[in-house]
Amino acid sequence: MSPKKIDMLSILQAKFKGTSVQVQPEQLGKAAIIADASTNRDVLKAMLEADEKTAVIAITGIDLGATLGVFYHIRTSKAGIITIKVEVPKEKPQIKTISDLMPGTAFDEMEVTDLVGVVFEGHPSPGRLVLPDNWPDDVFPLRKDAKLDNLQYKQTPPNETEPAGNENIVKIIVGPQHPALLEPEKFALKVEGEIVKDVQPRIGYVHRGVEKAAESRTYLQDVYLVERICGICNACHATCFVEAVEKILETEVPLRAKYIRTVLLELNRLHSHFLTLGHAGLEIGFETLFQYFWRDREPIMDITEIISGNRVISSGMTVGGVRRDINEADIPKIKGMLTTLRKTLPFYKKVYEDEPSIRMRMKDVGTLKREDALKLCIVGPTARGSGVDIDVRKDEPYEAYGEIPFKMITYNEGDTWARMNVRMDEVEESINIIEYALDNLPTGPFRVRVPRVVPAGEAVNRVEAPRGELFYYLKSNGTAYPERVKVRTPTFANIPAFLATAIGSNIADVPPNFVSLDPCFSCTDR
Amino acid sequence: MVLDVMFVFRVLVFPGFTFLFFFTMFCDWIERKIEARMQNRMGPTFTGPAGILQPFADVVKLLTKEDIVPRGAKKTVFRLAPILSFSIIIFALSFLPIDGAAVIPNSSFSGDLIFIMALITLANFFLFLSGWASANPYGDIGAARVLTQFLGYDIPLFLLALAPAFLAGSLTISAIAANQYLPFILLAPWAFVLFIITLQAELEKDPFDIPHAESEVVGGLETEFCGGKLAFLRLTRDTQIVFGAALVVELFLGGPYGPVFFGPAAPWYFLWFVLKLLAVVVITEYVTCLFARLRIDQVLTTNWKVLLPLSVLSLTLTIAVATWIYPMVT
Amino acid sequence: MSKLATWARLKSPWVLHFNSGACNGCDIELVALLTPKYDVERFGIKLEPSPRHADVLLVTGSVTQQCAERLKRIYDQMPEPKFVVAIGACACSGGIFRGNYDVLGGVDKVIPVNAYIPGCPPKPEAIIDGVVKLLNSLKPEKPSKEEKKK
Repeated sequence: MSPKKIDMLSILQAKFKGTSVQVQPEQLGKAAIIADASTNRDVLKAMLEADEKTAVIAITGIDLGATLGVFYHIRTSKAGIITIKVEVPKEKPQIKTISDLMPGTAFDEMEVTDLVGVVFEGHPSPGRLVLPDNWPDDVFPLRKDAKLDNLQYKQTPPNETEPAGNENIVKIIVGPQHPALLEPEKFALKVEGEIVKDVQPRIGYVHRGVEKAAESRTYLQDVYLVERICGICNACHATCFVEAVEKILETEVPLRAKYIRTVLLELNRLHSHFLTLGHAGLEIGFETLFQYFWRDREPIMDITEIISGNRVISSGMTVGGVRRDINEADIPKIKGMLTTLRKTLPFYKKVYEDEPSIRMRMKDVGTLKREDALKLCIVGPTARGSGVDIDVRKDEPYEAYGEIPFKMITYNEGDTWARMNVRMDEVEESINIIEYALDNLPTGPFRVRVPRVVPAGEAVNRVEAPRGELFYYLKSNGTAYPERVKVRTPTFANIPAFLATAIGSNIADVPPNFVSLDPCFSCTDR
Repeated sequence: MVLDVMFVFRVLVFPGFTFLFFFTMFCDWIERKIEARMQNRMGPTFTGPAGILQPFADVVKLLTKEDIVPRGAKKTVFRLAPILSFSIIIFALSFLPIDGAAVIPNSSFSGDLIFIMALITLANFFLFLSGWASANPYGDIGAARVLTQFLGYDIPLFLLALAPAFLAGSLTISAIAANQYLPFILLAPWAFVLFIITLQAELEKDPFDIPHAESEVVGGLETEFCGGKLAFLRLTRDTQIVFGAALVVELFLGGPYGPVFFGPAAPWYFLWFVLKLLAVVVITEYVTCLFARLRIDQVLTTNWKVLLPLSVLSLTLTIAVATWIYPMVT
Repeated sequence: MSKLATWARLKSPWVLHFNSGACNGCDIELVALLTPKYDVERFGIKLEPSPRHADVLLVTGSVTQQCAERLKRIYDQMPEPKFVVAIGACACSGGIFRGNYDVLGGVDKVIPVNAYIPGCPPKPEAIIDGVVKLLNSLKPEKPSKEEKKK
């Protein structure tokens, strides 16, 4: 925390007094700042000067009818999100890039270009991000008037010929089908000997058009849709979405529902961390470790099944509470399974801290310095492994996290080993949280009735998914269908970290490094 | 006439090709069961009693698959290299005394230890060629890794193999096996331990299995192979393990010689050989399950900075033992 | 000889996993099959890295535009005899993403499918059940008792 309290809004109000920039407190989170295409960089610069922990969470592109909106959602060290709202005319949708000020926003801008059609002048590497290469140039899916039937796909461009450069450099393409990757993504590695010289990612293979689909389903149907953006962190997506709807509805969720939601969220985190910790073993050739971790992960899936009926996608959340109550008779059984799980932790902790082959493969591999983590807007255990202490559960408590005591885990080394150890320690904290929640489960209803039709309004919301901060922007227009659902997932923010740390490393270091940032490309591509 | 039939029987059936073929599959089953048990699983269970026919089913299935040769591959090398590497290893195995006499009777000659070490190097070289001929970037990297690894580790392996040679005063394997009044593992335990470690690297097993690192090089040098050729590549790998274990048995554990309780000696020798070999296979498989994979630069560092000096040291120590202590024992 | 070949193919099905645009739910249930609780290596099922080594292609995901070509290419690279199993509601018919602009809607729009395993995600037991049913369908039909009597 910074020593002196930074009152960002007063600073901005003072700086931009008398200009076209308007600061509107208490709008859309902490504040909304109305700016235009010529002043967006100035506002961001002012914020960066005032607070070094300023980071852009997401850039939303939205079709507002006559104009296209470009909203910059920004987080500072104090709680709350500040949104800079800019509108550009549809005939000439251009705006200056901010990726030189905040390198972590390069991907966000490419996505807005792809889906809404705003062009960012000065962007270092424009190109397709989530849409396929042969997508027609003039169709922008998130525009209201987009014609998505009978698309005329372009001819696939021929493979780019490499300029005759250094002959020692070999181009290796990792993916889309590769045993190291559970999901299809393509990384073109340029390798000299065994050293990686360059990494060019191509994502978008898992792009299913969720944001567009959300606009043609009702709010309740959308809960099931956003859950399936990612099967691993499904409860977090559902929670973030329903919380955003509840913010617009101004509904107060009963306390019992908040506790049950917390239990389901922490179960998500537990199974996801076990998954990653085991998967890391597989990447470094330690198959025994992988088998042991996944063997001990099974009880977590069983607990989720006891509570919600499903092993993976729990479908527990709904607008106004949770769908099912926890059966009081099940709680001792659940607590017994958690106690057994807790007993295995000292062994695993010792393995990750002391085991020589893990230290050989993970220590000083993929080191990300704290300043870079801040500049690239990294989130989650990846950031906490580099000493950046951000965690939405602490910074802006939601559900029952404000009432349940737990520690935020940070390590300062910044390498793969630190990131994995952050997750290892968070496992214990999660078990503590679940046990506390189950012990102190308040009585009362587990859901409240909410109106079918959501009044017009907008809301931003974030939760701490296992991989980091998950952000939703929701706009409603008074009908049964949302106007715009924008999702910014933690892996989307963390990919620049991987690119930065992979260059200059060995090929053999790329898999452990990659797993340590715990990528989830179905989250990234949506 | 009788001699000829015996010769053919020994070479083709027992203890020759057929026996070695099925014994390799048996060792493969043991390895898979150990690996599964170490990982708290069951391993192959339903193919034959306790899954013992699993490796056999794998080989038969591979032989009945369609054979695909990639368009850009160097066809002759692609087709021949897997079979050649397998054949060379079986050939090398036939010089080792399995039931008191080698597979090819009276085939041992002075210096055949060096000869079979050279044969192994040649077999590995053919493995490299098969990866190189595949026209696949992962095949190339896998092949390069195989080459780097076995060429590097050949040197300490050879130096360590010389230790028993000095103790027995001969470079002929059958003589080394026969002269072990005390198994050499007791006289030169340092050589045995180092030899096992170097063997892990030669056999490309964890922690030295980077040539087959699935997460980095997909299938390594095997990536483009399918069907019968893949079967031969896998068999090469498995037979190499049997060969390595057999070498350890001959050099350090007294070969097939052991107490004969009744009747003719040959079946007893065979039994001891098999038991000792299985013990070595079990040890190497345990080591495999316990470690993560080292990076290539760590593998090379281990070789040049650790194993090579230690093997020179081991040789010096063994010569000292051979000159002064061993004559006192015999 | 062909009985031996069929026996070997039933007892040693090597699988390749391909995610054609899935949410990971089905994929993690698939990977869970290799772990001690379910352990499909008992049946001889091994996860192979290269399409050339595999007999059965396990596909998850609703097949996005970008993945369709890859899926076809991987299928072509596999040697005969080969089988395709579509795992999960998305792979069977597109699932909850059916009709989206980037989604083809099911594996059978690209390659022929031998077995469909529905679920979102299907439990590991359901996946094993589906694979076993596929393998059993390969066995030659035993003549029924009436035919034997003739």
